[in-house]
Amino acid sequence: MKKIEARNLVKNFGKLQVLKDISLTVDEGEVIAIIGPSGSGKSTLLRCLNKLEEIDRGTIIIDGKTLVQDTGTGVQYANDVEQREIVCRMGMVFQQFNLFPHMTVLQNLTEAPVQVQKRNIDEVTQEAKELLRKVGLIEKQDVYPLKLSGGQQQRVAIARALCMKPDIMLFDEPTSALDPELTSEVLQTMRNLAKEKMTMVVVTHEMTFAKEVANRIIFMADGIIQAEGTPEEVFGNIQNERLKNFLRAIEK
Amino acid sequence: MDYIIRIIPQMGLGALESLKIFSVVIVLSLPLGMILALGRISGFSFIKKFIATYVWVLRGSPLMLQMLFVYFALPSIGILFEDFTAAIIAFVLNYAAYFCEIFRGGIQAIPKGQYEAAHALGMNYWQTLRRIILPQVFRIVLPPISNETITLVKDTSLVYVLAMNDLMRTTRNLVQRDFSVVPFLVAAIFYLGATLLLTILFERLEKYYAKSSAN
Ligand SMILES: Nc1ncnc2c1ncn2[C@@H]1O[C@H](COP(=O)(O)OP(=O)(O)OP(=O)(O)O)[C@@H](O)[C@H]1O
Ligand SMILES: [Mg+2]
Repeated sequence: MKKIEARNLVKNFGKLQVLKDISLTVDEGEVIAIIGPSGSGKSTLLRCLNKLEEIDRGTIIIDGKTLVQDTGTGVQYANDVEQREIVCRMGMVFQQFNLFPHMTVLQNLTEAPVQVQKRNIDEVTQEAKELLRKVGLIEKQDVYPLKLSGGQQQRVAIARALCMKPDIMLFDEPTSALDPELTSEVLQTMRNLAKEKMTMVVVTHEMTFAKEVANRIIFMADGIIQAEGTPEEVFGNIQNERLKNFLRAIEK
Repeated sequence: MDYIIRIIPQMGLGALESLKIFSVVIVLSLPLGMILALGRISGFSFIKKFIATYVWVLRGSPLMLQMLFVYFALPSIGILFEDFTAAIIAFVLNYAAYFCEIFRGGIQAIPKGQYEAAHALGMNYWQTLRRIILPQVFRIVLPPISNETITLVKDTSLVYVLAMNDLMRTTRNLVQRDFSVVPFLVAAIFYLGATLLLTILFERLEKYYAKSSAN
């Protein structure tokens, strides 16, 4: 079953074309790693999927529901209410965590399920605590986020996204803002998620993680998917010049 | 001492009048300032320009002038207000301009990531504003709001030019009647007491909001 179906996405920032006819499908339970040099449009692609950016052309279907449809001359987005329903089927984890600093860890998790999904607060609180236990932060439930380390904040952010019971998780360089010694705890949390068959799209510079966890690697450069396939296919016999240069550059 | 006790009731009435002005102005100008701030950062360029001009005019000219304008100039074109109403209108319009700028600064200090996180969690505009943005803005604007509030306590004395029996005018009347400067001292104590109370109140609020800060 297709969880994400993105066809022929085009995104311009003024005169700059950041996505040039990108197509991407993600099946249920798949883990996709998107890699590529800085400025290649990886974040933009991810952000278009949950409408943090609006595309100029193309079609995006999430879990069978159309977020935006190409009209032949432009695009037509679903109405506001539908959009929000589709968007919150996807959990998003940001490089800068973006936790709500004025709420405790537990409140960060329960806020949207209660306010947006109108779920019962006691029920949500139980689930939130369960999630905090899973990411190893139950003892921090009443702490304010800014008092936590970066790695802890990012694990809270993952738990917050999961508390919405999403079908899909989007990660935009979740470990790039972390000190090296804190990345492994976050990667471990993501590995566990992958084991539970969560559908994941991960923009990352962590090549080891990508090779080990992803079913499919997408290499982007200049707003184009340059190479795509299983880790073995992509890294095994590197044909693409750009990919070769990119891998050489990050090994240093 | 006897004299002080004798003048206290009269001065108390004056203080009450000042307190009334203060309270009404705060209650009206804070929300108005907030609405203006939201308009000032909205996507409507006409509204933005209008509010920017409004803020410039109201902050760029003396409050005293604005008050006299409402009281004396508007009646000449047929708009008449009582003393109290005129004072309130001028004060609210003036203070709303200051609060607008304070709130605008506070709102713009919230990182874009907060809006993005709220969006990704499916929150709509009002949920985002009410639950995520404004609580953080309140924390940021507390110190400047505290400043303005204390200034307002003292500014209420300006209404004495409209012949209102506020604390300042009452004091002056007593001084002139009794040839004593003691009422000045009593008035000072009233004003200082009020600002002290406000200072403590705002310190408490700031402490309460500080619990979520990084250290
Ligand atoms: N809001 C914006 N306005 C204008 N240009 C933008 C905006 N966001 C991104 N861009 C530009 O779009 C291009 C792609 O940016 P994007 O953030 O998607 O790259 P990326 O692949 O995620 O890079 P990185 O690895 O550095 O995160 C860059 O040239 C960037 O400067
Ligand atoms: Mg990026």
